[in-house]
Amino acid sequence: MIRLVDVHKSYTKERETIKGVSFEVHEGQIFGLLGPNGAGKTTLMQMIATLMKPTSGKIEIDGLSGDKDLLEIHRKIGFLTNEIKLDPMSTPNNLFNFFAELYDIPEKELKDRRDESFARFGITPFADKKINELSTGMKQKISIAISLIHNPPVVIFDEPTNGLDILTSKQVTDYLKELKEKGHAIILSTHIFSVAEELCDEIAILVDGKIAAQGTVGEIIKQADVESFEKAFFKIYVENHIE
Amino acid sequence: MNARRGIKTIIGSFFRKRGQMGAEASSATFLTTVFFVVAIACCAASIVMWWFPYHLFSDEVYNVVVVNAPESFVKFNEETQVIRDQESEEYGDRYNYLANWGNMTFFEYSFDGYGWTEFIYKDTDALYDFITFGKWMRENDAYLTVVFPKDFDQMIKDRQNGITDEKPQVLTYFRTNSMEYSEMKKEFVDKYLSLYQSKIRSDYGLKITSVQDSRIEDDMITTIENTSGMRAFADTMSRTFVPILLFVILLYSSMSIGTNVIAGQKERGTFTGILLTPVPRYAIVIGYLGGVVIKTMIPAFFIATISALLAGQFNILAFLALYLYVLVLAIFIASVTIMISVINDTVVSAQTAFLPIFLILVAVCVTCIQSVSDRADFYMYLPVHGQFYGIGDVLTGNINVPGLIVSSLATLLLTAVMTIVTVRLLHSERYTVSIDTVDAKEVRRFKEGGKSSLLERFNKATDNFSYFITELFYPLVVLSFYQFLAMIPVVVSYMRKPEYSSFIQDLANVGSVEDIMNKTFEIFGIFFKDPLFLVMMTLGYVLIIITYFIHAGRVWKIKGIKNKIASCGYPLNNGKHIAVHYGLGFLFGFIMMTCTIGIMIITGQVTLGGFNISAGGIGAFIFNMFMWFPQGASEELMFRGYMIPAFNKRYKVAVGVAVSSIVFSAFHSLNPGFTPLASVNLVLIAVLFALIYLLTGDIWMTSAMHTAWNLTQGNIYGLQVSGNEASNTVIKVLYGSNANPLITGGAFGPEGGLATTAVTVVCLVIVIILLAKKKRTTK
Repeated sequence: MIRLVDVHKSYTKERETIKGVSFEVHEGQIFGLLGPNGAGKTTLMQMIATLMKPTSGKIEIDGLSGDKDLLEIHRKIGFLTNEIKLDPMSTPNNLFNFFAELYDIPEKELKDRRDESFARFGITPFADKKINELSTGMKQKISIAISLIHNPPVVIFDEPTNGLDILTSKQVTDYLKELKEKGHAIILSTHIFSVAEELCDEIAILVDGKIAAQGTVGEIIKQADVESFEKAFFKIYVENHIE
Repeated sequence: MNARRGIKTIIGSFFRKRGQMGAEASSATFLTTVFFVVAIACCAASIVMWWFPYHLFSDEVYNVVVVNAPESFVKFNEETQVIRDQESEEYGDRYNYLANWGNMTFFEYSFDGYGWTEFIYKDTDALYDFITFGKWMRENDAYLTVVFPKDFDQMIKDRQNGITDEKPQVLTYFRTNSMEYSEMKKEFVDKYLSLYQSKIRSDYGLKITSVQDSRIEDDMITTIENTSGMRAFADTMSRTFVPILLFVILLYSSMSIGTNVIAGQKERGTFTGILLTPVPRYAIVIGYLGGVVIKTMIPAFFIATISALLAGQFNILAFLALYLYVLVLAIFIASVTIMISVINDTVVSAQTAFLPIFLILVAVCVTCIQSVSDRADFYMYLPVHGQFYGIGDVLTGNINVPGLIVSSLATLLLTAVMTIVTVRLLHSERYTVSIDTVDAKEVRRFKEGGKSSLLERFNKATDNFSYFITELFYPLVVLSFYQFLAMIPVVVSYMRKPEYSSFIQDLANVGSVEDIMNKTFEIFGIFFKDPLFLVMMTLGYVLIIITYFIHAGRVWKIKGIKNKIASCGYPLNNGKHIAVHYGLGFLFGFIMMTCTIGIMIITGQVTLGGFNISAGGIGAFIFNMFMWFPQGASEELMFRGYMIPAFNKRYKVAVGVAVSSIVFSAFHSLNPGFTPLASVNLVLIAVLFALIYLLTGDIWMTSAMHTAWNLTQGNIYGLQVSGNEASNTVIKVLYGSNANPLITGGAFGPEGGLATTAVTVVCLVIVIILLAKKKRTTK
């Protein structure tokens, strides 16, 4: 579903931010990207979401890549990141309708989808409140609802549980599991180990723009030869980080 | 069709209740400066090259109509034809400017015209029939008509033979629609006719006298068809005020809406979401363009309709043409704002980047106004120019169909190019993704190695520059806006008086910028006797003060009206303090002025001429007195209360004092009689007031001093206030016959003389000592 082949990205000539990353994510799989701040997680995800182009290498979404398939790719991906914000003065209802129309969702389906999606996240009572009057958790839930408005087969979530309380986090992670069961391919970036351990079928640890380790949680622990995933992460980080 | 639905949705989003951005200021972008430099370069180029497009594209005229040409003049023309032929050969084809480039200098243009002059001979008995002369000049591309009396040659002979003493009168009529014609006429009269006058004597064997045999009387003539009364007023407004109003409305609304949509969404982080939808980039651009156009068209449509109705245009075609002109202009301006919005990341930087374009387009309007009656057809086909003239044409009842089509197409073509560029830009990640992620920041730090890059230093310089420009131009804009408003009723009432026509007549004869300035101040002198003017000015100053309170509150984010007023240097919490400081300030101002006059009396420059006020003038006197209160307060507010803290927020307090004082002086430099010494004096006075502001912490005292100074100077002693002639005065101070302008300040009034310098320097020393003392005690 998602295929990265030797992806490089450099903002300047002197330094590469992403130094050759390759991996694949299949339908019904949650792929976790784990790494410290500045490792290149966001850059990588923005490239997968077509917001940036790799300096070299190839990114394929369902066999599509490049500028000519841009809009087709947009139909296939749902991208959620902290940098995409909701218009603070708009309302969930307005925003949902606005994006539904931009995603060309037929008028007939629109209402059903909105009702279903709002009910699932408990947005319905707040549907006509201004965004900036809502709590962080509610905003995040609205963001998820809107970014998946077109039911995309590929879901890219950049730290979806960041700053959320345990209850809302659980709602989000449950939803991700449900999506996985429905056969969506999901890429997730996080630095919360419990989320990574619980959710991800496969994890790549990104250090300084390179994949330092990749595999299931068990495989990574085994590879690092320590007791816990957390310790494995630190060990891998120390071994691969260049001062 | 996703693109179409996307466009519709984005346009629709403009009309949903959406929020305003809480934008934070960011540094001016590189592009702002590039645009600004281009604007400056355009201005510079237009000064150097001003005659080039004029000659290239204007329907220039060189010919001269000669009415009742005497035989001697025809003969003289034939003789000189050889010289003219030679000249025009030297300069080549008069329309081939590239070939003539080397031969022509900046000031030579009229002389070249003389080389190409052809004479058109006409006869008439009506020597003053300027309507016919105007027609002849239009028909024959002439700028001048020379009218001889019927039997000119005979009259000259009679005079020479002592039969009559009368000098035959030669009349000249020149076109007024361009300043050039007046100079060309001067050239023709001074060189050609003078040569002819000396020639006729020798050629006809007449005796040579030291006086000229004939008299040349100048008159001007307007070649455009005459309209009068309300119609003329409406036409002038339709060709000047209405188009510029529509331009400004479109520019302003486009700037506020257009820069908000993409740059604003980038700033709020909502734009990426839209980019990720399967709506093509071109549809996003067109959607936003459409939204901006529709929103800006609403007020423009309203104003255009009202203007057309007021101008008496009830023809459906006129409305259609007008709307088309405005719509095309709106689309063009919107496409510029959208492009700028895409390039910038924040609303403020986008608006800063748009400002130079705003200024360029307003400058285009101003150049259009100057040549509105005498423009070349060529301009009708240009983008923007075409719209300006077109709007004026439609409102005055002419529809230039080819002009409408060509200028609209040209403008739309430009718009298309800009839109394509904008769409291209939206494909570049530089303009779509905020790369201020941790990675990017790290990369940047790594790259710069801790030192600030050239670009950063450049950005800082432009940032400082734009801060200065904004702070310096704000008072100018506010002042001119309200003074303009205050003038309208006065000018309208003045236009009904008989003096008006003679004033306009005089104004048409002025040759230099200096003349125009002097004329303007002359009319101010007349207005100062008019209570209506004084009341309007008072009102204007009050409005300036209120504007500043609101402005300061907005810029400095101050809530509460009392706090806003206090932030501008008028703290309201201590009534006693206000009363004492204001009272003392008034006293000080009075004493300072009296000392100045005292010095002038002692040194014998002036004498007191007794009481001057008459019962009839008492009304104007009272209004004039009242005017000085808000006048002093508004100037103190602009140059001290607001400007010093504004600069102090970013720079040392000395910068604020220095800049505000220089600007204060510069603001008065256009007044008549301004001298270098006056500028020094005004700087000194400004520094004195600024230091008093620093000493007292507010501008209550300086406002009173300012008011007292002007009032005492103008209305008690009756001297000029910064070049403005005083009209309503208690005492008449008469300049002595041996008065030295160095001491008295001449036409600028005492502020331009050494007497003021002396008084100000003494006060400055006192204030500096007090300030130093205060500094020591606070330490």
